[in-house]
Amino acid sequence: MDLLVQLLANGLVNGSHYALLALGFGLIFGTTRVVHFAYGPIYAVSAYGAWVLAAHFGAPLWVAMLGSIVTGAVLGVLSYIVVYRPFERRGSPPLVVLIASLGLFIVIENAIGVVFGTDTKVVPNPPSGILLLGPLVVTGSQMLQVGAFVVVSIALGLYLTRARMGKAVLAMTDNAEMARVIGIDTARVSIIAFAIGSAIAAVPAALILFKDGATAHMGFLAVFMAFVAVVVGGVGSLRGAVVGGLVLGVVESTGMIRISTEWQSMVAFVVLFIVLLFRPRGLFGGR
Amino acid sequence: MSVSLKVRGLAAGYGTKRVVEGIDFDVAAGDIVLLLGHNGAGKTTFARALFGLLEPEAGQVWLGDKEITGRSPARNVADGFAFVPQGHGVFRSLTVADNLELGGFVESDRSLLAERRERVYSLFPILAERSTQLAGTMSGGQQQMLAIGIALMHAPSFMLLDEPSIGLAPNLVDKVMQSVVEINRTMGTTILIIEQNVKASLPIARRAAVFKTGQKIYDGDPAPLGDHVRLMEYF
Amino acid sequence: MDYLLHILVMVSLYIVLASSFNLLIGYAGLFALSHAAFFGVGAYATAILAGTYGLGFPIPLIVGVLVTAVLGVVIALPALRIGGDYLVIVTLALQVIVTTVLINWTSLTGGTDGIRGIPRLEVFGVVLDSPGKFLPVAAVTAAICFAIAWRLGASPFGRALKAMRENEAAVQAVGKNVVAMKLTVFAIASGLAAVAGWLYAHYFTFVSADAFTVELTIYMLAMVIIGGTGNLLGSVVGALVLVALPELLKFVDMPPDVADKARNMLYGLLLIVMLRLRPQGLLPESASASSLQAPPERPPVATRAEGAALEGKGLARRFGGIVAVRDFDISIPPGRITGLIGPNGAGKTTAFNLLTGFLQPNEGEVTYRGRSLRGLKPHQIVRTGVARSFQDLKLFTNMTVLENVLVALPNQSGDNLWNVYFRPWKVRAEERENIGRAMAILEFVGLGDRAGDLASDLSYAEEKLLVVARLLATGAEALLFDEPLSGLAPNALAKVMPVFRRLAESGRTLCIIEHNLDVIRELCSSVVFLDEGRKLAEGTPEQLMHDPELSERYFK
Repeated sequence: MDLLVQLLANGLVNGSHYALLALGFGLIFGTTRVVHFAYGPIYAVSAYGAWVLAAHFGAPLWVAMLGSIVTGAVLGVLSYIVVYRPFERRGSPPLVVLIASLGLFIVIENAIGVVFGTDTKVVPNPPSGILLLGPLVVTGSQMLQVGAFVVVSIALGLYLTRARMGKAVLAMTDNAEMARVIGIDTARVSIIAFAIGSAIAAVPAALILFKDGATAHMGFLAVFMAFVAVVVGGVGSLRGAVVGGLVLGVVESTGMIRISTEWQSMVAFVVLFIVLLFRPRGLFGGR
Repeated sequence: MSVSLKVRGLAAGYGTKRVVEGIDFDVAAGDIVLLLGHNGAGKTTFARALFGLLEPEAGQVWLGDKEITGRSPARNVADGFAFVPQGHGVFRSLTVADNLELGGFVESDRSLLAERRERVYSLFPILAERSTQLAGTMSGGQQQMLAIGIALMHAPSFMLLDEPSIGLAPNLVDKVMQSVVEINRTMGTTILIIEQNVKASLPIARRAAVFKTGQKIYDGDPAPLGDHVRLMEYF
Repeated sequence: MDYLLHILVMVSLYIVLASSFNLLIGYAGLFALSHAAFFGVGAYATAILAGTYGLGFPIPLIVGVLVTAVLGVVIALPALRIGGDYLVIVTLALQVIVTTVLINWTSLTGGTDGIRGIPRLEVFGVVLDSPGKFLPVAAVTAAICFAIAWRLGASPFGRALKAMRENEAAVQAVGKNVVAMKLTVFAIASGLAAVAGWLYAHYFTFVSADAFTVELTIYMLAMVIIGGTGNLLGSVVGALVLVALPELLKFVDMPPDVADKARNMLYGLLLIVMLRLRPQGLLPESASASSLQAPPERPPVATRAEGAALEGKGLARRFGGIVAVRDFDISIPPGRITGLIGPNGAGKTTAFNLLTGFLQPNEGEVTYRGRSLRGLKPHQIVRTGVARSFQDLKLFTNMTVLENVLVALPNQSGDNLWNVYFRPWKVRAEERENIGRAMAILEFVGLGDRAGDLASDLSYAEEKLLVVARLLATGAEALLFDEPLSGLAPNALAKVMPVFRRLAESGRTLCIIEHNLDVIRELCSSVVFLDEGRKLAEGTPEQLMHDPELSERYFK
């Protein structure tokens, strides 16, 4: 029983990592309808950005985090303006944009390998400290992860419901044509969505340095889990994306009881099938 | 506040298809003009080309004395041109109040919004009752009223409505028509309304035009169109 | 020299992979990102059977192809119901699962170490242990696989696949079984990929799961896209370009692992650039039939057809709480044109969908020639003789006018792959006849000289004519047209209306939905007025249009 509680807690921690990834991806997808596969490698570059600051320049965590966020946001916006927007302008079908995104994925992923090599980058001196909550053991870096998730979610929620451009984002996600009809500049909102979405992914990117470390290939799994979480939660629903991410984390973690470690990652994908089979629109999906 | 609309030689379509050709059209400031025509006659294509959702292939459009041909919708909205598209478009996942607030998105003076919202509520009391309800859960008629309310939030001087009565019960259709008259009367907004429901829309029009297969075939006094048997010739 | 031969072996391998991938993505429009998984399963099957169990040719090849084809069909099942983004993520997930299984089923697959020491192939006593010796086998295998793919692509089945890609509803409406088509193309494409896996295993004598990743799928995707979707020669070009071009980087001085990545970056960039500049790829889509080889004889078109009445009795259909159609009785007789009119939202298109099997009624029954159509799928109903067109046309836009009509012709032996491969003479002969039939139909509607043009190049009036031609081609005697003439200018109408009259005079059963009342007056001998889902009146056009109450309803 204690084991189950611990696994559940671990699952929620990992789930909050996935939830943040899903939130960023879902924001971009819901607003611009672009399946941004390059989201994964950009997340990886953000992690490397944080690593350079922390390991090379010995910067404290918050500076490294900031560097990660700026890196992510800039690359995200660039990828929209340089790669996706030209296709949008000429009315290319969505599948063409998706394939372009796959091309960008390959370019960025390999660029990382060229610049940084293929070894795993970790950061020395991760936050330490252990919290004991009854039978639960929570490490310092786990607390940081959950804390980051809570802060980002609240901040995003406030932005989307209070700020003028935040409401424009919600409007465009709900009904892009009506957004244009009421005078919203949808190109500008797309840029904002890419900036914020990539910035959100940069947060868990920096934190991963303390856990598994950064590798050139981590981008694929990240965008894949984000995509699965968004589909499970329901396309267009940010709440769904968060729930999808948390569900994936918990299922993956508690699946460990029955299934040996290696098959763990498959569990997440099985969740995808089951959900799509019974609720093809996802848990919260409406479209 | 009202403004006129002038169209000369407008042509528009999709891909290789020209849907409307050589359209000249005038809407005098403060007028209510009705545009009729069968399905596929090009009325919606015309409307979208005016508002900027579709790039015209030829011709020119003036809002007042400003040429607006092919301008983006955002600029047209900022200049007082409101569009209520077909299908009662609203933001389904947001509340009525949020929807209305979004209607005032381009308004830089936010203090004006409260008063305008009150005006919308007095025009459509049902929206006031349901201000915290999600727009997607309302009936079609209520959504249509909300769609009109959204357009009113930036105090337009010109309003273009595309088939607002479609799919509505007769009493709601009357309500929509009445509200259009009211808006024109109290706010002075120039109205161009596209309709298929001749019976309900003809009485409110001061002028009427008919499109048939992409061309304008009638433009003038609405009265003769009241003879339905004769109207069949235009469709 | 050895290195050049090695490159050629790789090109041969990728020709098999790219052309089979093209069948799925380019021809069938099924965006399944699991091709590296098929490749890997084929390679592992060979590795296990030839390596671990020491079985000789041809068992590893045959079993590998069969196992992979079964996997292909399994992956096809979600594709039957979903498309677009959902298909992408589901097939991507399956790819990851396959990779995970390959890595983790250690007892069978050797886990992360993979399987080594796969025996080399032996031909006439020569062990194929160098690129030069392996190349002939690789090249011959590639040629055979390419020929298989080519034959499929150029056959009527291939044409039906493309039509399915263009518009799935329309291809059902001309009598094709999309479920069978999807399962078949997945099985063939995955089977061919497995052959590439067999080659790979015997060439490298070592397989490991990290070779069969999503990056490899994207690499193959790039070959298909750059070479040209829907053109198999394009896939050869794509394979050549993407294997050979990055070799030019050899001239730039770089450490080897960086060179690898630089190569990958190059193909990623090439993919993006190609999509921007020429999204259809280097080689254009190949047409499956040419009007140039049309035989001189044209079989008569508006032959005497024995139409029968299409009857709907007591039809009702609800959507949630809304009743779209109720108590709907209609009898559409042969030899005349019946019009169906009514205001917007009256339920006309729903009625059509009920009469032609695109929707099942909640109550009531549709019969044709005394047989009930209940429970039949749209493509089955077409075969019983009832066909419909669509208000939004649903033409196969990236195919030629001739192909649009060819695809609709019934009873083509070439729709069955068994005939395509094992009785090609029969398929070829039938194809010639069918081209003649199709040309006759096109000439009947006045599109004869546009046969070789793409449907997307047609004017609006010509598109409407093509809709009629395609429907006529189905061979159905009961033809239901949804707004066939809407939006046509008067001179175009004058050209098109006689076609309808001739069809009716030939004994066929015709029904049209129209808003243009001039057309109704001209063509229809009887008109049914529909409002609020019910038949309100039936009579001649004059009777209905001079009825003041009905006119009022029409304009609501």
